[in-house]
Amino acid sequence: MALQLDTGHATRQGLRARNEDFVGMVTPREPGLSNKGFIGAIADGVSGNEGGREASEYAVRGLLADYYATPDTWPVSQAIERVLKASNSWTLHHGAIRPELAGMATTLTALVLRGSFYYFSHVGDTRLYLLRAGVLTRLTSDHVWDRPEMQHVLTRAIGLDTQLTVDHGSGQLHERDVFLLASDGLWAAITQYDLAFHLSQCAQGTLDANACADMLLDAALAGGSSDNLSALVVAVRALPEQNLRDSLSISDQLRPPPKLQVGQMLDGYRVEALIHASAATLLYQVSDAQDVSGAQRKLVLKTLQPDRGNDALERAAFAHEEWLAKRVIARFFPQVIATRQPNYLYYLTTWHAGHSLQQHLDIGHHFTVPEALALGEQLVRAVGALHRRSIIHRDIKPANVHLGLDGQLRLLDLGLAQSGMSEVDARSDAPQAGTPSFLAPEQFNDAPASLRTDLYATGVTLYQMLTRHFPYGEIEPFQRPRFGIPVPPSRYRPELPLWLENVLQKAVARDPQERFETAEEFLLALERAAAKPLPTRGPQPLAQRDPAGLWRAIAIISIVANLLLLYLLALH
Amino acid sequence: MTKTSFWKAGHTPTLFAAFFYFDLSFMVWVILGPLAVQISSDLHLSQAQKGLMVATPLLAGALLRIVMGVLVDHLKPKRAGLIGQVIVMAALLWAWQGVLDSYASMLTLGLLLGFAGAAFAVALPLASRWYPPEHQGTALGIAGAGNSGTAFAALLAPSLAIAFGWQNVFGLCLIPLGIAFIVYMSMAKDAPSSPPPKSMKEYLAVLKDKDAWWFMFFYSVTFGGFSGLASSLAIYFNNQYGLSPVTAGYFTAACVFAGSLVRPLGGRMADRIGGIKTLSIMYAIAAGALFVASIGMGSALSAAAVFVIAMLALGTGNGAVFQLVPQRFRKEIGVMTGMVGMAGGIGGFYLASSLGLSRQITGSYQIGLIVFGSLALVALLGLSSVKNRWRTTWGSAAMTSAKV
Repeated sequence: MALQLDTGHATRQGLRARNEDFVGMVTPREPGLSNKGFIGAIADGVSGNEGGREASEYAVRGLLADYYATPDTWPVSQAIERVLKASNSWTLHHGAIRPELAGMATTLTALVLRGSFYYFSHVGDTRLYLLRAGVLTRLTSDHVWDRPEMQHVLTRAIGLDTQLTVDHGSGQLHERDVFLLASDGLWAAITQYDLAFHLSQCAQGTLDANACADMLLDAALAGGSSDNLSALVVAVRALPEQNLRDSLSISDQLRPPPKLQVGQMLDGYRVEALIHASAATLLYQVSDAQDVSGAQRKLVLKTLQPDRGNDALERAAFAHEEWLAKRVIARFFPQVIATRQPNYLYYLTTWHAGHSLQQHLDIGHHFTVPEALALGEQLVRAVGALHRRSIIHRDIKPANVHLGLDGQLRLLDLGLAQSGMSEVDARSDAPQAGTPSFLAPEQFNDAPASLRTDLYATGVTLYQMLTRHFPYGEIEPFQRPRFGIPVPPSRYRPELPLWLENVLQKAVARDPQERFETAEEFLLALERAAAKPLPTRGPQPLAQRDPAGLWRAIAIISIVANLLLLYLLALH
Repeated sequence: MTKTSFWKAGHTPTLFAAFFYFDLSFMVWVILGPLAVQISSDLHLSQAQKGLMVATPLLAGALLRIVMGVLVDHLKPKRAGLIGQVIVMAALLWAWQGVLDSYASMLTLGLLLGFAGAAFAVALPLASRWYPPEHQGTALGIAGAGNSGTAFAALLAPSLAIAFGWQNVFGLCLIPLGIAFIVYMSMAKDAPSSPPPKSMKEYLAVLKDKDAWWFMFFYSVTFGGFSGLASSLAIYFNNQYGLSPVTAGYFTAACVFAGSLVRPLGGRMADRIGGIKTLSIMYAIAAGALFVASIGMGSALSAAAVFVIAMLALGTGNGAVFQLVPQRFRKEIGVMTGMVGMAGGIGGFYLASSLGLSRQITGSYQIGLIVFGSLALVALLGLSSVKNRWRTTWGSAAMTSAKV
């Protein structure tokens, strides 16, 4: 069952000449409801002239339309922030060049309900309330000057300043939660008691959301409101049964196929070879026997191991992997091919002739510096393409880097990848998932995977491609290694240019703060090459590397010295 | 993770009682080893019979571990430990007061002493179930330090046997065992929660995993070497170098003590530089030391030095295996501990009996030591296969269950 909502709204101009509030919401159909969720927003425009309405309507309409145009893999807060920043510059720009809109600005409070979580973003003095189990809580704080006489003056709003700071929040949804988005004309003129009373009627279902919004406005008008009043009421009637990742999989009933032999047919695809078998997944090369063009193009079929087919965790992870793979449309990734009426659990991607970087290393291929540079740039671009979609790969290593015969580098296996989709429920899971030698030092201290840990793994991959060694030695599973100073790559390949060594050392630095911040920065360092080399990092002083150890050593030495002195004193 | 929080986290009296019980149980478990010289001269046992006699408790202990494991599941650890202790004390009482004049009666005693070896399966869950996951390693380490009991047996038993006669030693053992029993009854308490009983199916299911077999083999070499040597060294020193039973006992105690002390170190080392790397080093050292020992050293002292090196390597290996097992088999840890422990006992039985057999048939220990040294080399090969298999992605599903 999907998320079921009862939504309603009301807006009135009250005693004012114009209504400068604007309310809007979208409840998409599946799969949009699972991917992006419901969004509702309220805005209260301000200006001396008629610009207020322009600003509020533009902000809300823009948000509702553009939110659904952001990549599905982005976290909700990132998507909203990006859209609001665009609205902010538009509002500022038009407020400056069109005299009739001068000084326009707007508050905005937006609410997204997706899966079993709510997310909100807020700027200004519109408010978001949540009524849960009879208790009314205000989730937002007003951005106004906290002084007498100034409490109507906004400190933050869209169109006020080039720097827009938006508040974000999120939490778990419960059944019978009721959310209220209210403009100041409403909340300033109504008592908490009345708010809670009307909303709990809505929560119990005796009042529908539209009627509830109307009654709230009536009560506020009776309470002497002189401003525009608007309300948007959202009541959660039923929560989705499965978690978000599960609902991604439409093939809920499908089971993975049994182990396939070469030559066997599956849904019209002929198995050509088994490419790879891991503990959880199987990869086959198949050819499309029903292809009308007769080209029999080759594809890759990925499925779960038959005995993992009933494991709910594995199924959910597999569904998420397929969902992500469909969304990374770029030349750096194998592309997902639509299947005809699958009878089993699997998905298809394009197949590309070539070998993985690991295979190249295994057969003894020697990568020259220009070769490694060209591949490195492609790899960093590929990682950047993922990061722009807010996807963390978590398993970048030579075995997952495919060098096609067409000269294209492709990044494989999104099996461990995380995206904004999993931001709340899965971000904290298993920091050490991945391949031990490619995990960043901080991950051994249970720091979650991040863009920087991905860039670290990219650095180790390049390091290995050039030197066939790991910067900190090979790390076994179940080991808690001690990270010292990485071995300079020139120890293994003395002919490496100094600037390249510096780039590699920066990429695999132990301290995440010293690494490249983004894939773009990494790429730039590779592209600029010798023209603008990174500064060489001298050896770090001990006081920075291990302050606790230094002080301990000083303490021990001083104790020993004192004992020695005492002993000498006693002798005399 | 400070010390205070560890002492506050669980139930210290139970931990102490479990350690004490485990320590003394291990002492009686291998008591036949140091006494073997005197027993066999009285009963006129052949070399092979001697070997089998000291090996029997090891085998019985290995198999009874599974039985005790089942008892722990169904009766709670405390009651299972009670049963085990009563059986061991009854056996010692019989050995002290009854008639022990044949090889068969010695083997029967050996079988009953196996219950003492099975204390492993009781003491560890008894203590560790009190502790939250982050402290379980420490709790297991403290309770597991009871391994040192084997050294006390070698240290004390021969001199006591000379002073009072070997049969009375069994009676003397009853004194510390009685104290341990009282301590156990008054201080040990079952943890409030216990995991659900393991079914036979689970034991079989885990055997489908190739790694399970390898780990059983690894432990059968490390722990088998440790316990097998602990039981046989007294005979060895007596036969090869003509040492008196007491001196042979001291030499054995030195070797055993070295091996049992480094066990926690093995765990730490595996944590830091990796379990596979640690084990590889230890197997190489152990195999080397065993091969050197098989040539036969000139003096008892140099032989003792070589065996101390072997025992250090094997003891460190014990710790390293048990650093890896709980992490590799998160979900099946209860079952795997039992299986791996059993394999260790079987390894000890094999080593102790094969040394006796080798001496009987060829007149020297050379073949027995060479074969066991070769087993360590096979384990080395097994490690490299495991290492290659483990060079893969560790999925989040496998890692998340860690926290549960």
